Amino acid sequence: MSEEIKPDEIVNFLKPRLNARFRMWLNICARCGLCADTCHYYRAHGNDPKMIPSYKVRFLKELLKKKGRVDRDYLQKVYDTVYHECNMCRRCTLYCPFGIDIALMISLLRAMLFSQGIAPEGLVKAIDNYKEFGNQMAVTDEDWVDTVEWVEEEMAEELVGLKVPIDKQGAKIIYTVNAREPMFYPQDMMEVAKIFYVAGEDYTYSSKPGWDATNLAMFCGDVKSSKLIVENTFKRAEELEVQQVAVTE
Amino acid sequence: MDFYLFVEGPLLWIAFMVFIIGSILRAAMFLVVSTKKDQIIYQHFSWKYIFTSVGRWLLPLNKSVAKNPVYSILGYIFHICLVVVPIWLSGHISLWEESRFEWSWTPIPDGLADWMTLIFLAIALFFLLRRIFSADIRLISGFADYLLIIITALPFLTGYFLTHGTLDEIGFFGDNMPLIHMLSGEIMLILIPFTKLSHFILFFFSRGASGIEFGRRGYSI
Repeated sequence: MSEEIKPDEIVNFLKPRLNARFRMWLNICARCGLCADTCHYYRAHGNDPKMIPSYKVRFLKELLKKKGRVDRDYLQKVYDTVYHECNMCRRCTLYCPFGIDIALMISLLRAMLFSQGIAPEGLVKAIDNYKEFGNQMAVTDEDWVDTVEWVEEEMAEELVGLKVPIDKQGAKIIYTVNAREPMFYPQDMMEVAKIFYVAGEDYTYSSKPGWDATNLAMFCGDVKSSKLIVENTFKRAEELEVQQVAVTE
Repeated sequence: MDFYLFVEGPLLWIAFMVFIIGSILRAAMFLVVSTKKDQIIYQHFSWKYIFTSVGRWLLPLNKSVAKNPVYSILGYIFHICLVVVPIWLSGHISLWEESRFEWSWTPIPDGLADWMTLIFLAIALFFLLRRIFSADIRLISGFADYLLIIITALPFLTGYFLTHGTLDEIGFFGDNMPLIHMLSGEIMLILIPFTKLSHFILFFFSRGASGIEFGRRGYSI
């Protein structure tokens, strides 16, 4: 994490990403306060005014007004708000007369922080893993295939004839998991195998990256990595010529 | 008297032009920038979601009315009075008839206009007090938010004074009420494109965009 803050970088990051909706929303928010009690953070903090959704996105306007000339304490404050006081559930938008999408603006602020090297450690590590291994838990392709095969062996003892298909060309569904499942909870995969077997569904896992459906890059607004993760899955779906992608997360 | 003529003539033209052209530019700016930077709206474009969303929020058929009925209904009444009184007031229509356009339409009864004005002013006062005394709203309010309530209410207040001669006893106001009334209206018109008051037109774009975004996901719009 670099200690120095470059105002130009902040502005140059925000400006091109400030789309027509953001500009409009920053302008027309009437500060009516209807979003206040739609926010679960507001309610859970004893109706603390600081938790009002429209208040939380003030940073965007401030950063532009100050031309990015802020200190690290300020960015820390932004960080605390956009990560700990909003989980981008979008409920406030459903109650806003203008339909102002606060969550999108929070996401932009998270992306700005990420560009300055500020993000939760776990997310940063996960993004590195996606780039290197194609999944958030750094599971190698070999380990993954081993796990799937092991699941099949285990379950075949219980349900005779049960198969857990990998790379089955032309299956109906490509099934994706959370990378935590092969890592820590293979029993979840067993349950799923059971359901698919009983339901008689035609599905397949992918042996190559694209099998992890989680997209943690999205949570720090890292659009590039986020896109890469989605593309992995869809590339496999096309290669295997499946009709549907099942995302469990 | 020169200033009076200016306010009555050129400034009125300027105010209307700034209001109309400014509002059109605001809308055009949104459309131009959004076609470049908000592709998602056009990729999923749907008139069905736009009309549903705009309709539900123009009429009290939305989630916020159910959640905050008092505030929401006051908001609706406020906006209805704000639009209806200036356009359908007989005094205003007769000015349009005398103007070079010679436009004419049926006015609402003066008695109704009086009541709507008083109700409008009462709600405006309530909004102002709410902004001052509610800790929630005070935190998110800036100077402009207070000022714009006053600027929006002033044409109605001065209009009421003008038609009822309320302050005629006080020399300055008695002599200048038409001037003050026109000025207050012109200031409001001029400020609309540059402030959050531009929501009168951008509301439709914002609601439409969010209607598409949430409608296609099957959420409440």
